[in-house]
Amino acid sequence: MNRPEIIDESGDKYKYGFTTDIEADTAPVGLTEDIIRLISRKKEEPEWLLDWRLKAFEFWQTMQEPTWAKLSYDKIDYQSLHYYSAPKQKVAPKSLSEVDKNLLETYDKLGIPLKEQEALAGVVAVDAVFDSVSVATTYRAKLAEKGIIFCSISEAIKNHPDLVKKYLGSVVPYTDNYFACLNSAVFTDGSFVYIPKGVKSPMELSTYFRINAKNTGQFERTLIVAEDDSYVSYLEGCTAPQRDENQLHAAIVEIVVMNNAEVKYSTVQNWYPGDKDGKGGVYNFVTKRAACRGANSKISWTQVETGSAVTWKYPSCVLQGDNSVGEFYSVAITNNRQQADTGTKMIHIGKNTTSKIISKGISAGFSNQTYRGLVKVTPQADNARNYSQCDSLLIGTNCGSHTVPYVENRNRSAVLEHEATTSKISEEQLFYCQQRGIGEEEAVSLIVNGFCKEVMQHLPMEFAIEAAKLINISLEGSVG
Amino acid sequence: MSAPILEIEDLCAEVGGKQIIKDFNLTINEGEVHAIMGPNGAGKSTLSYVLCGKSGYKVTSGSVRFKGKDLLSMSTEERAREGIFLIMQYPVEIPGVPSTTFLKHAVNAVRQHQGLPELDTMEFLKMVREEGRKLGIDNEMLKRPINVGFSGGEKKRMEALEMTILKPSFAILDEADSGLDIDAMKVVADSVNALRDNKRAMLIITHFQRLLNYVEPDYVHIFANGHIVKTGDKHLAVELEQNGYAEYVKEN
Amino acid sequence: MPLLSDKTYLYTELAQEKGVVLPTPKTEAWKYTRLRDLLNTEYQLCPSTDKTGSLPPFEADVIHIGNGWVVGELPRIEGVSLSFITETMEKTQHPFALMNAAYLTQGLKIEISGKLKRPLLLNYFVVPEDKNYFYHFRNQIICHENSSAEIIEQFTYEGAVKSCYFANIVNEIRIEANAKLHHYKYQNEAFKANHIALHKVAISQSGEYESFCLQKGANIARNETEIALNGEGAEAVVNAAYMMNGWATLDTTTNIYHYVPHTKSSQLIKGVIGGTAHGVFQGRIHIAPNAIQTTGTQLHKAILLSDEAEIDVKPELEIFADDVKCSHGAASGELDKEQLFYMRSRGIGEEEAKQILINAYLTDTITQISDERVREWFKILITG
Repeated sequence: MNRPEIIDESGDKYKYGFTTDIEADTAPVGLTEDIIRLISRKKEEPEWLLDWRLKAFEFWQTMQEPTWAKLSYDKIDYQSLHYYSAPKQKVAPKSLSEVDKNLLETYDKLGIPLKEQEALAGVVAVDAVFDSVSVATTYRAKLAEKGIIFCSISEAIKNHPDLVKKYLGSVVPYTDNYFACLNSAVFTDGSFVYIPKGVKSPMELSTYFRINAKNTGQFERTLIVAEDDSYVSYLEGCTAPQRDENQLHAAIVEIVVMNNAEVKYSTVQNWYPGDKDGKGGVYNFVTKRAACRGANSKISWTQVETGSAVTWKYPSCVLQGDNSVGEFYSVAITNNRQQADTGTKMIHIGKNTTSKIISKGISAGFSNQTYRGLVKVTPQADNARNYSQCDSLLIGTNCGSHTVPYVENRNRSAVLEHEATTSKISEEQLFYCQQRGIGEEEAVSLIVNGFCKEVMQHLPMEFAIEAAKLINISLEGSVG
Repeated sequence: MSAPILEIEDLCAEVGGKQIIKDFNLTINEGEVHAIMGPNGAGKSTLSYVLCGKSGYKVTSGSVRFKGKDLLSMSTEERAREGIFLIMQYPVEIPGVPSTTFLKHAVNAVRQHQGLPELDTMEFLKMVREEGRKLGIDNEMLKRPINVGFSGGEKKRMEALEMTILKPSFAILDEADSGLDIDAMKVVADSVNALRDNKRAMLIITHFQRLLNYVEPDYVHIFANGHIVKTGDKHLAVELEQNGYAEYVKEN
Repeated sequence: MPLLSDKTYLYTELAQEKGVVLPTPKTEAWKYTRLRDLLNTEYQLCPSTDKTGSLPPFEADVIHIGNGWVVGELPRIEGVSLSFITETMEKTQHPFALMNAAYLTQGLKIEISGKLKRPLLLNYFVVPEDKNYFYHFRNQIICHENSSAEIIEQFTYEGAVKSCYFANIVNEIRIEANAKLHHYKYQNEAFKANHIALHKVAISQSGEYESFCLQKGANIARNETEIALNGEGAEAVVNAAYMMNGWATLDTTTNIYHYVPHTKSSQLIKGVIGGTAHGVFQGRIHIAPNAIQTTGTQLHKAILLSDEAEIDVKPELEIFADDVKCSHGAASGELDKEQLFYMRSRGIGEEEAKQILINAYLTDTITQISDERVREWFKILITG
């Protein structure tokens, strides 16, 4: 029996950098119409979905990769990637006991127990996505009692085609942007959540994404629909093995929130960031958007971004329903040669809509980080309110921190406020900690965690502890 | 005869290229309380920052021994762990860091240095709450980010708490009474007096004699032109209060 | 020097002729300012005129510039050397500055070597006719070491205006060590006019640049300030106010580059926008690697008075050094209803109450103007 191996632990802090040796069913490299047909066939998809994929692919070929972000990376050769890789399994597992032991071990090692009895005693249900496919979803039966659908999107396409057809691409159309378009053509799996009217999910739902295969792009697609008066808190975690070449991850998350419904979406993004010289690491080009379609609906994005070599990500809120609320809480940490261009968009369309942006960026080493955000108030969005606060902390003299908010106001009754500050860790704070006996590195970590507090407190408890640890690991060696 | 705890010899130090401490000499023995008094702007605070190793405060010559060890080669935190505690004029705010979290990090850093096991959360909280209560610090205040939005009096109470639980062997009070009402000043004085024993020593840096009514010094030194120009007992402080510093400042 | 015959030019043709790349809606630096009206108009070079604009109510040394041409002889001013320029100081990628260099009407070299007692007023004035005219004027202002000066630019026009004209202004400003320049501007062009101005300022060690710009006129107007803080101790203040009730686009753009340690910049920009007008603010603070101990602050605030007024704002921090203090803030909204109600409850009419609030809102942009008479003048322009 093969065990997951740990690659090169010497001096590297990324503890998720191992690979799993598992037989995989992998499509040949390259991106053609045939590959898309192959993916669709392997997934036994209906005709309409294949057509949709092909239309996306056709459109994608007319598009240009965006260059407006403050990011520089080697050009991606889209023809050198695999677009499908799935762990080989003779028959689809009916229960967890049938899931490949290697996979279970992998998730165990990542701290994601897939055996229900171990999974935090019923607090979190997990959908585990390994490379391109979902390998296990826990607690389905318990959720089903409430009418909640929580499964991989592939299963949803088979078992709930009407729901998928109704909402897929309705928030992020394939024409939206280059990476979203690519995803629409080649997405392989992801999670699907449907919360029926009046239902509050009794537990946190969670997807755990893992890239394993070499030279494989990961294109998952998550769709969450919260019907009237429903509530769900959704968690997303990600890791990848340590590899010398860059891995592409171009995902989409679409969320639809109806009347009086609320969705909380939390991410701890810890894709492999590359080594200290910038070799390897994940390109994280993600489109996340929530449409608050119903009145009094609410979406709250919370993200802790510590991983990836290059991040391009702007979780957005389209506030269509009257009185709807959008929130974005973000901590982004870059160290070594990492680059991140991340932020949010708040589009106010309904009346009395409110949005809040709290962004905390920490740059260390030779990294560069940009907050990029848009607050847009359309002419009909009477009484829109936005408050944005973007604070950046610099650690060391070789990093960069940039803040680029766009504010577009077409309605005089809107009250929009934006504040941003950039500074280094205060000498006075460091001295105070050190004078009380706390070492420099520990003091920096205390101060940084304090700096991020406002965001971290929006994470579910277990996630917050994990995230605080990650922050410390990410900053190791950045002081002195 | 008690042993010396702090021995400062011919110390010269500068800030931003400007010499502030010149040929400074002072020995403090275990159990003693010394007060350094001097006019505003004479560089009294510089002395306390030099002793604590704050960056930007540069020692150009001389030596300082703390309990026989070379103090100047230690980092700020090492000095703190060895037992130096500075009560600051303006304790800084650290947003987002709850006071208990801060205290726990500090206590365990010092304990680790002393070879003691770390306190677990329950033990620690019990101890902090108990000591806090004695100083009029309730649990709510302990949960607030350290010093953030604290009144002058609350900040002093927090410092008194820090000192009480870190049990330093040498406390420096740097203008610890500035801007305080009588009650807040008493909190500081009481916690200092509570700590006072025949092993621990104190250095009180102050402009006014006021605090010395509450913490009675064994020696009073007048600081001017970068060093001590006169030494006396507590009566010197009273005299200074009446006659001012003028006659000492014009010395050279 | 001027080179155009009376041939009419479409601005885009001109650009093509000189190889200038004109901004499109996709050009980030011009993202919010729609230039269609400006670019699709045919222009002819302005003929000179003897007419001059009216003077502000304070004593000043005056240079009248009518239709882009200096009127009469250049004055003699103690501590100032004045001449016509023969070449531009440096290359630029700015599309309108390039155009200005290529089709310069006239330009002045203003060298300041003493401490000037009176402000120097550049009184721009346009006498429009039936044709669409444009002019390209440029000043090279050199403030020699230890000098100090106050330069005021006023842009006005004569009479009823049927045609559109286009004023394209470039100021190249060099402030040497310990020199001080106060630079104020009042832009009140005709409602169909277009006005683009670029102030390119380089400041040496301990030099000071303090500026204020009030924009009230034109159809499309952009006041762009680009500052390079090149010497330690250099300081820049860039304040501005804009107010518009028509349909204009008023753009205030700043780019402040801190290249060395111990430099300081501050910006306060406020606008009041009504009608179908469009306010634009883009401001960037850039801190170069190693430019430590730097302070850069920026605040933009705007009030929308009508349903169709629009405001677009893009403040930007671009920071490559750690030991810095930088901040920006942006706020937009309408007039405070509580304050309005309070004033009306005390018997003040609604319009008057609004006016009082607007005046109060804008006047803190001029508090840093040290010359009292100039400050008073701007106060009247804001309230009038």
